[in-house]
Amino acid sequence: MPLIQAENLTKVYGTGETAVTALDHVNVRVELGEFVAVMGPSGCGKSTLLHLLGGLDRPTDGSVSVDGQPLAKLSDDALSKLRRRKIGFVFQFFNLIPILSSIENAALPLLLDSVSPTRAKQKAADWLTKVGLGARLGNRPDQLSAGQQQRVAIARALITDPVLVLADEPTGNLDTKSSDEIAALLQQVAKEWGRSVLMVTHDPRIAAYAERIVLMRDGKIVEDKRNAKAEG
Amino acid sequence: MNLQLTLAARYLWGRKLRSFLTTLAIVIGVMVIMGTGIYMPTFMDAFNKSILSASGQTDVMITHKTGEAFSVSVLNRVKTVDGIRVIAGAIDRPVALPPNFYGRNSTVSGFAIVGVDPNVAPFLHDYQITQGRFLKQGDGNVAVISQRLADSLNVKLGDALRVPTTEGVVKLTIVGLMPGRALVGNEQVLITLSQAQKLLDMSGRINVIEANLTTTDKAQSEAIVNQIKAQLGDNYTLGGLTSGSEFLGAMQMAQVMFSMFGFFTLLMGGFIIFNTFRTIVAERRHDIGMLRAIGASRGTIIGLVLAEGLVQGVVGTTIGLALGYLFGMGFTGLAAPMMKQFMNMTISAVIVEPSLVVVSVALGVGVTLFAGLLPAFTASRVTPIEALRPSIGVTIQRVGRIGAIVGAVLIAIALVGLLSGSFELIALGGMLFLVGLVLVAPVLVKPFANAFGVLTALIFAREGTSELAQGNLTRQPGRAAITASATMIGLAIVVGIGGMMFSLSDTITGLFQKSLGSDYLLLPPSVAIWKGDIGAGQGLANKIRSINGVGAVSTLRYAQSYIQTATVKGAGETAIAVLGIDPVEYPKIASLEFQKGNQQDAFAALGRAERNAIVNGVLAAQANLKVGDLIPLSTPEGQQEYRIIAIGGDVLSMKINTVYVSQAVMREDFRKSEDIFYQINLAPGANPATVEQWLNAIVDDYPQFRLVVGREYLAEFRQQYDAIYGGFYFLLGILAFPSLIAILNTLAIGVIERTREIGMLRAIGATRRQVWRTIVAEALLLSALGTAFGILGGLYLSYVIVQGMSASGIFKMAYSFPLTGVLAATAVGLIFGVIAALFPARQASQMEIIKALRYE
Ligand SMILES: Nc1ncnc2c1ncn2[C@@H]1O[C@H](COP(=O)(O)OP(=O)(O)OP(=O)(O)O)[C@@H](O)[C@H]1O
Ligand SMILES: [Mg+2]
Repeated sequence: MPLIQAENLTKVYGTGETAVTALDHVNVRVELGEFVAVMGPSGCGKSTLLHLLGGLDRPTDGSVSVDGQPLAKLSDDALSKLRRRKIGFVFQFFNLIPILSSIENAALPLLLDSVSPTRAKQKAADWLTKVGLGARLGNRPDQLSAGQQQRVAIARALITDPVLVLADEPTGNLDTKSSDEIAALLQQVAKEWGRSVLMVTHDPRIAAYAERIVLMRDGKIVEDKRNAKAEG
Repeated sequence: MNLQLTLAARYLWGRKLRSFLTTLAIVIGVMVIMGTGIYMPTFMDAFNKSILSASGQTDVMITHKTGEAFSVSVLNRVKTVDGIRVIAGAIDRPVALPPNFYGRNSTVSGFAIVGVDPNVAPFLHDYQITQGRFLKQGDGNVAVISQRLADSLNVKLGDALRVPTTEGVVKLTIVGLMPGRALVGNEQVLITLSQAQKLLDMSGRINVIEANLTTTDKAQSEAIVNQIKAQLGDNYTLGGLTSGSEFLGAMQMAQVMFSMFGFFTLLMGGFIIFNTFRTIVAERRHDIGMLRAIGASRGTIIGLVLAEGLVQGVVGTTIGLALGYLFGMGFTGLAAPMMKQFMNMTISAVIVEPSLVVVSVALGVGVTLFAGLLPAFTASRVTPIEALRPSIGVTIQRVGRIGAIVGAVLIAIALVGLLSGSFELIALGGMLFLVGLVLVAPVLVKPFANAFGVLTALIFAREGTSELAQGNLTRQPGRAAITASATMIGLAIVVGIGGMMFSLSDTITGLFQKSLGSDYLLLPPSVAIWKGDIGAGQGLANKIRSINGVGAVSTLRYAQSYIQTATVKGAGETAIAVLGIDPVEYPKIASLEFQKGNQQDAFAALGRAERNAIVNGVLAAQANLKVGDLIPLSTPEGQQEYRIIAIGGDVLSMKINTVYVSQAVMREDFRKSEDIFYQINLAPGANPATVEQWLNAIVDDYPQFRLVVGREYLAEFRQQYDAIYGGFYFLLGILAFPSLIAILNTLAIGVIERTREIGMLRAIGATRRQVWRTIVAEALLLSALGTAFGILGGLYLSYVIVQGMSASGIFKMAYSFPLTGVLAATAVGLIFGVIAALFPARQASQMEIIKALRYE
């Protein structure tokens, strides 16, 4: 059974004349350990797809299940728990809490899950070291570069040992060098640490890090191909 | 919860200025509640200690419900009850001393003259005589006093003690000393009962019966007490002394005012907190969305916001309690000299009731949490997707039309209520009007900002700063309106109460001249709270009348009484002050202010040998009395019905339930013929100098009275009234203070929120000065809005209070437009606005451009 299974996924924003069909009967599966890049022109529904797969929003039609669990049946609290335990998010704008240090930001999901602060911080330190930020544990976001901030966000996404990492344009706000580093890191997340990673990007160079590339247009998947270069 | 508290603490710490300002709002709210809450019980305590004496140690103590004296024959009736071991009648009368009676340095302001039966009293009380002897039968002007009293008066055994009596000053030889009483309070001067009856003009009468029972068993004691009750009927109280409910009545008005202060201050605090939380939530949409995306539940988010409220509530309340305590002490300290002079009360200790602390804490923390509730729910509804969207910056608020319409309707209802003439509707209208203004405010922000913007544009020339300020204000009309509302409520109360005081002051001065406009007055130590005053017998009035050049002499006599009342709280007794006037002499010198009926008919009716009475406005309103009704007053001789012939009163009794009867009727029913207050007019063509000389000579023998020239008294009264008035304005000033914080808060939040924008402005070339001006202009707009609304609300409120008081019949007042109040409020409002702007404006203009641009 695939880790993510979405069937006939449809999302319509608004009603009547102003209705926009952002997703139109999309079927997609992602296996465990797979690194998938989603590409397509602006407004084609990439973010919408990511939101639905991550349980951030509810579909108009169709179904999503993550790790065998159909999301439609879950209450808001159960959905929150699922996001907390099984999914990690990486955002384009990092979304770190400005008043917390790197280590505290990274530990946040564990703290939300009532893990003891000592243990949570220990794990956060481990992950921050793994993503190459071992030396900046006590710094606040405003004392970090954009690339470093995104690394903190990735550590935060990984700290709960999620099966799935969702990243919406994680390199959208980064320079070329940092972008490459982050993409390589996400590749590592999938290949070495065995998580599934679904990454939305505009940049073909970044998409090339993924083993599978999904191309979207007008709310539909128009192409779904293996990326021989990355697989090699 | 742990995570929430940690995050809350971090957020608060991360925004120190804002946290400080918001917490300050709570601090002030709690401080006002606590401070004013200390004030009341402290004065009540002082009152209890200085006027009421503590009850004795006997098993049973019987007093007349009126507190007045009764015939010794009552003692015989009680004696017939089985189970009484010892019983005796006594006279226990508090004596308020005139200031400096025992010299300038004396701390003694009063004591109780206690007349006891020397043969029986030692079996009732454990009088330990440490020096000399106890009283014995046949003793004349001798007394036994406590060592403590002797020490404070600097007298010893064998010395003479001067005491004021109805026969003038009498010297009592101290024959015995006893230890001081356990309870701090009135010291006793013990004399024989027969001597007390003589010196206090109470022959054949006593005012307390004390008895010890043969048993100490509770059930048996109760049975005996019930038998005594059956023997005496309803007119007697068994147990302690009746409390000074009369004084309570006078303090009621103050209490209502104070509660109102506390309530409104907290309301403003609530507004400010609500405003801050709303901003916090708007500002942290991204953070909240991210938390939701990574798995925080709705409950966690609500908890997060409330935890922040809780931390602020707890910290603010704690500081508020401490400051409130200091404030209460300070205010009490300021008022103490006045209380001493005017009411003859000494304040010994500041009282903090545990319930006050509980209420303050509950309100302080409760209001904070409550104000945070709505924003917390808003926060919980932030979708996780918000975190994924790029930051748009400050969103533009839409204006709620429904609120404005509801507000307009409320204002309309309030106006109709005002026209109705009914007290309840007018009072309700006052509240509706304020709420209505708050609701209408958001829609008026834009037109107002545009209109007023023309002015600020003129002040700040054409730099674009004024337009920017206007724009900043109008893109968040809700927040601007809430800020303006806080200012508005503060100023509305200032103008409202100020206006009411202004009208009251005008009215009182008029009344004063009418009721107390005589050439000379003889004043007892405590005016209006007559209970502790020792008057003089008929002799003094006769002596005064015999002075060559004295025209009319009018006196007041006083007795206590009560009526049964049925109020919402259930049946009870209301204490009444009965004033005896001479219906022939009184109108020659003074007049009452009549609400119903007229002077001529009323005094003619009092002159007849019937039980006729004039009741004052407060009493008529409270007991729902009309002209023609019968009012059943309890007297030492049982209940007597008096026909109400008019409703009216004098200035001194304005706030006290008062019934005026003729002195002849008072002598019959209350057995009182002691004059406690004299008004004297000169005969035409008399020489004031000689008359004054003679009056002084006579009054020398009656030092409980102070001879005062009418004009001087009026001036003295005005001065005291002005002092109270000043105290009130001080309180009002404190009340206006939170509005300063409200403006400061909103501006500071605006600056924080627009950090990036300001950075951008600076980056594209705006000067520091321009940024500074933008903020100040915004502050001016904001405070002008609040001030305009506040004055409008305040004028309405003061008009409502004045009309309401008149409609309720409590007090007839003419409305005077509080021009000075309005001008002061305008000045204060605008000045506060600029002061509030200084700090945020500085912060905005000093901002480092790079940092501001990076600001998340
Ligand atoms: N909350 C919303 N309300 C209405 N329409 C929306 C909303 N969110 C997205 N849309 C519309 O749905 C469509 C898909 O949007 P989506 O954000 O998924 O695009 P995208 O592929 O992520 O684009 P981009 O590459 O620019 O981020 C767009 O036409 C967009 O306008
Ligand atoms: Mg997108």
